Amino acid sequence: MTEPVRNDSAMKKILLLAFVEENGALGKPALEALSGACELAQAFGAALNVGLIGEFAQKAADSIASCGANQILAVQGPEFASARCATDSAAAVALIRAAEADFVLAPQTTRSARCMPGAAFRAKGRIDTRITGLRVDEGTLLIQRWYYRQRMVAELTRSQRPWVVLLEPGVFSPWSGGGGHAEVSIVPVEPVETRTRIAGIEPASAGTQTIRPDADLLFVAGAGWTKKQADGEVHVEEAENLIRNFLDLTHASLGSSKSLVDQSGEGQKVISLLTHMHQVGQTGSTPRHPKGLATCCHGEEPHVVGWRFINERRAVNLDPNCGWARGKADVLYVADAFAVMGKVIELLGKDAGQAAV
Amino acid sequence: MGPDLEKGTENPVDRLNLDVDIACVGFGPAMGGFLTTLAREMEQASGEPHVQSTVLPGMPLQVVCYERADDVNFGVSGLVTEARAIRNTFPDMNPSEIPLAHPVSEERIVYLLDPHGASRRSLGLRIADSAIRGLRWVLPYRRSALELPFIPPFLKKHGGLVMSIGQFMQWVSNQVSSSGMVQIWPGTPVGEPILEGKQVVGVRIADQGVQKDGTPDVGYMPGMDVRARLTVVGDGPVGAVGQRLDEQFGLPEGHHQHDWAVGMKVVVSLPDHCDLVPGTVLHTLGYPEPEIFGFLYVHPERIASLGIFVPSTLASPVRTVYRYLQHWMLHPYLWHHLEGGTLRSWGAKTLQESGRLGEPYLAGDGYARIGEGSGSTNVLTGSGVDEAWMTGVLLAEGVIDLLKKGEPFTQANLEAAYTNRRRKSWVETGSRKAQHARDGFRKGFVTGVLGMAVSGLTRGALNLKTRSAHPREGIPDLNQYYRDRISSEELQRIREECAKNAIPLHDALMTRAGWPEIPLDGKLLISQQDALLLGGKVQAAPGFADHVMFVDPAVCEQCGTRLCIEACSAQAIAPSPSGGTPEFDREKCIHCGACIWNCTQPRPGDRERGNIRFYAGAGGLHSAEN
Amino acid sequence: MESGYHIVVCGSLVPDPLQTLEPDVGPKGPALKNEMVLPSVLDPWAAHALYEAAHLAKEYAGSKVWLVSVGPKQRLQQLMMTVAQKAPFSFVPVDGSASGFCDPFETATALANAIGAIPDLDRSRLLLFGGYASASRDAGVTLQVVGEMLGITEVFLAVDSLSVSENGEISLLERVEGGNYLFSECDCPPLVVGWATGHLPEPPNNPQIGMANMRSIMPALQKAPQVQVGAEGVSFAKVELPQQQRTTRIVKDVPVEQIAGEIVAWIRG
Repeated sequence: MTEPVRNDSAMKKILLLAFVEENGALGKPALEALSGACELAQAFGAALNVGLIGEFAQKAADSIASCGANQILAVQGPEFASARCATDSAAAVALIRAAEADFVLAPQTTRSARCMPGAAFRAKGRIDTRITGLRVDEGTLLIQRWYYRQRMVAELTRSQRPWVVLLEPGVFSPWSGGGGHAEVSIVPVEPVETRTRIAGIEPASAGTQTIRPDADLLFVAGAGWTKKQADGEVHVEEAENLIRNFLDLTHASLGSSKSLVDQSGEGQKVISLLTHMHQVGQTGSTPRHPKGLATCCHGEEPHVVGWRFINERRAVNLDPNCGWARGKADVLYVADAFAVMGKVIELLGKDAGQAAV
Repeated sequence: MGPDLEKGTENPVDRLNLDVDIACVGFGPAMGGFLTTLAREMEQASGEPHVQSTVLPGMPLQVVCYERADDVNFGVSGLVTEARAIRNTFPDMNPSEIPLAHPVSEERIVYLLDPHGASRRSLGLRIADSAIRGLRWVLPYRRSALELPFIPPFLKKHGGLVMSIGQFMQWVSNQVSSSGMVQIWPGTPVGEPILEGKQVVGVRIADQGVQKDGTPDVGYMPGMDVRARLTVVGDGPVGAVGQRLDEQFGLPEGHHQHDWAVGMKVVVSLPDHCDLVPGTVLHTLGYPEPEIFGFLYVHPERIASLGIFVPSTLASPVRTVYRYLQHWMLHPYLWHHLEGGTLRSWGAKTLQESGRLGEPYLAGDGYARIGEGSGSTNVLTGSGVDEAWMTGVLLAEGVIDLLKKGEPFTQANLEAAYTNRRRKSWVETGSRKAQHARDGFRKGFVTGVLGMAVSGLTRGALNLKTRSAHPREGIPDLNQYYRDRISSEELQRIREECAKNAIPLHDALMTRAGWPEIPLDGKLLISQQDALLLGGKVQAAPGFADHVMFVDPAVCEQCGTRLCIEACSAQAIAPSPSGGTPEFDREKCIHCGACIWNCTQPRPGDRERGNIRFYAGAGGLHSAEN
Repeated sequence: MESGYHIVVCGSLVPDPLQTLEPDVGPKGPALKNEMVLPSVLDPWAAHALYEAAHLAKEYAGSKVWLVSVGPKQRLQQLMMTVAQKAPFSFVPVDGSASGFCDPFETATALANAIGAIPDLDRSRLLLFGGYASASRDAGVTLQVVGEMLGITEVFLAVDSLSVSENGEISLLERVEGGNYLFSECDCPPLVVGWATGHLPEPPNNPQIGMANMRSIMPALQKAPQVQVGAEGVSFAKVELPQQQRTTRIVKDVPVEQIAGEIVAWIRG
């Protein structure tokens, strides 16, 4: 292992880079990243700058007027209203250069993930993404990230500057300081040639929205829902109704195991609510929710890596020796999920007013 | 890209043809020997007429090998080998270049006594056990086991290698493929041989894009017909092509395939306190049932392969392997080394234990057979990998001869070039000496051990021969088997309880018969399903038909034993809630083939075979350490 | 006039997702323990990209597909045995590390150099494909940097659908927050597409495709350039397995009503 970098490579100019939402405000991930940037600026005694990209930046800048930034820079205009790599990366690199940043912190969003690697390259820097922790140790910044899809966790630092870091949600509390009037320095960007037009946003599946990143509860349906039950028959429709009712009552976010979403390719009866977007685990997503309830999932490692960032975990499953029992869930209920969820819905339905979480 | 392919892209439901010179089925040690030898000749004689393709003029011989498993390193075998043939092929082989390989450093044979009194031991054996216990202060006895003071020469592996078959085959495939002379395609099960009269003209790949019952589904692609001048069959003891050929041509007079075993193994990270050195080879006998043999081989980096063989001569109607494997690991002699260890891998396979007597016709028009499925295993020395390798080498030498002479691959030519070579080789001499070595086990453990000793020590001159019988014969019904331990009323109750929960009987019956419960520790002692997932990493690709089919449901309906359920290595065959034909779950199957010979019901019209058909299927184990 | 797309798919091997992985931190930095023993597969997201590429190439006559992989030569050779029957492509191997601990910029440099050296590659028809995630490093960075190095700034990430209209305009659906898609239209190539799962099933193994591919794969492997791919400038303070063993309370043989009540209380709590 090589020696950590010495203090002389510590950050002097920190740039918090964020995209302004359509409503002109800064989203929760951006405010979390701002908290992180403030902490780092303090730890290093570095100058903090903020860079904003969006159609209009003033409202967002005003909302963080008291964050202690030396200057708030912005690239704005209608071409920066929506996510598009060519325009976004041009804006980002202009801000990095204008701020002369040696460290850039941005929230990990689909928009930043698309454009920031190219921006880092153009700024002759390097980038680290999906960062789940920042820590200063003896004057050195250590970032925490995962390898092999949440199988192993590492702490590392790097010597290249500028160093761009995309911060996962949930690492810092959102910045909650006061607003005011902020001076915004508009950074000009050469007109960007792009062949891409944004046509809009579409929901992935028609009907009820079932992926809810802000929900308190993740409900994961495993392949057991579509397997033969005790009577030797499959009950996919009943399973789908139970899941749908439960989601309606709790506003939970829906996830699924790989084996269940893959069944659509095998010509089996499937739960129509589920798409590949719902897949949680090794080859799916790793959502963040305070609570997770797994039903009919075996709880093996490739699946459970998708639970890495779920705080409280419970599982309903027929096998007491299954993977969930080996220290992966807080509680494993060994029971028939059809019966349990039916009863849960009945109880939640009795007092629907209180049921929403 | 040929015209057929273009046609295929337009109309994917047509069955396509592919012409090659040599089509090979199954990438195991025998095929390793064959392809290595052939590829070397093709490299060395590059450009010469005999290594030119006749189906693709101007190109070298077109040699393809299809393997049903998802990768070339997903084989299973507890492997200690003298590596005589393998070393002959690779004189400069350095074991340290092959992960998990190590020269044999220490050998021991250990007789395990029963610490629980639950195993079925004959009176003679019980007396012997008492004598051993009585003399334990003067005998090399420790932890309920007797270490044999010497190793019979026929069982010695000194100078040999401990290996992982998966890693070894991966290494071989790298050697062979990098020549660019042959192509190996895992994940491609071969459904059947293509026969024209008595001639094999190639193989048909299994259909893809089909439902579980084989009917076409979305993305249907009928298996391609790979037509070849020579088809080399090395798909093992339960391979689909070998089986179809046996059904078609029968076995030579006096031959039978009545003796089988399931070998089940685990690969374990040994605990820190374990002092076994790399290269250690332990063989056990006597426990958990006297008929069950065990092995433990130590690889480098504190990794060991260990497992048991449950033979067809263990006449139990609830013949399980997994639970026996756990009891075997828990035997004080072994647990002393294993306690605190962690399971890394798991797998099982069927072994053809009839050896030379199970040999099919080795060659016919357009085809030749090599490896375990061709009866090459030496049942006395318990050695199969090296012998299989050698059969592949011998066939390749024969094939090269015929190519040089420009002669076709007819039965007569192949017999002259290959079968005769094999008859003169050490594989034949060894397997002939061994062919009756295990006959005695049909009469019990003590007779079996004596018979083996007689055959071994007289080098096959004297044998304790017994009549061979289909493995289904001699399997008592449950009441008879447990008559001295469990009442018929209780048996009925356990049966009903298990049927209700759609689980096999063996666990409940073994517990009731006095076997202690397994203290699951989540590390090495885990449930059978966890062994599949954690150890075997079992997978089943969608789009293939079920490869285990119950031929005549009516036969299953009236079967009282349903040994297929009990013996299934992966609990992939389970009781049907309706009580009729058992249910098969492809996602659990590890393709060990135990169901074929554990079926107790003769197939209508064919008493030599059971009521289960075992086709070629994709998927199964995904561990490269076995 | 030439028609069709020139589709370059970037992707390499990763450990089979079912394997148990452990880090091994040595003097050269972190690696996977027993890496040589682990079976590997084509990265699942790159595999989707390859299937989409093959599908597109089949639809648009004159198209060609290349698969560019940075990985240890011997492992790439083995990987080809499981991949080459799936779709017709030309293989462009680069002999270097496929470890997840490599820096994406270094992998991108190796890939961009290899793509730059592909003869007859028409950049005006170029679709640069790959996975938007990976089962090894999973930074979601490499593809965009390769694009930058090749001068392509039209980048689409987490794409589930790509369709071409009659006038050649390319429509794409990218996964964005909240289970939504961002719907974009791009006039023409070149562009970079980081695929999510798409909608195509894994194609069946086609022995003819395999044989045709393999004829060029083996010579390509023999000529594969060797590159050093590492993580210069990165210092790992630690790499470890997460220690998140929980004490699991197993509730069994309890009436359904009681379990349901407990779950409801927990959800509301």
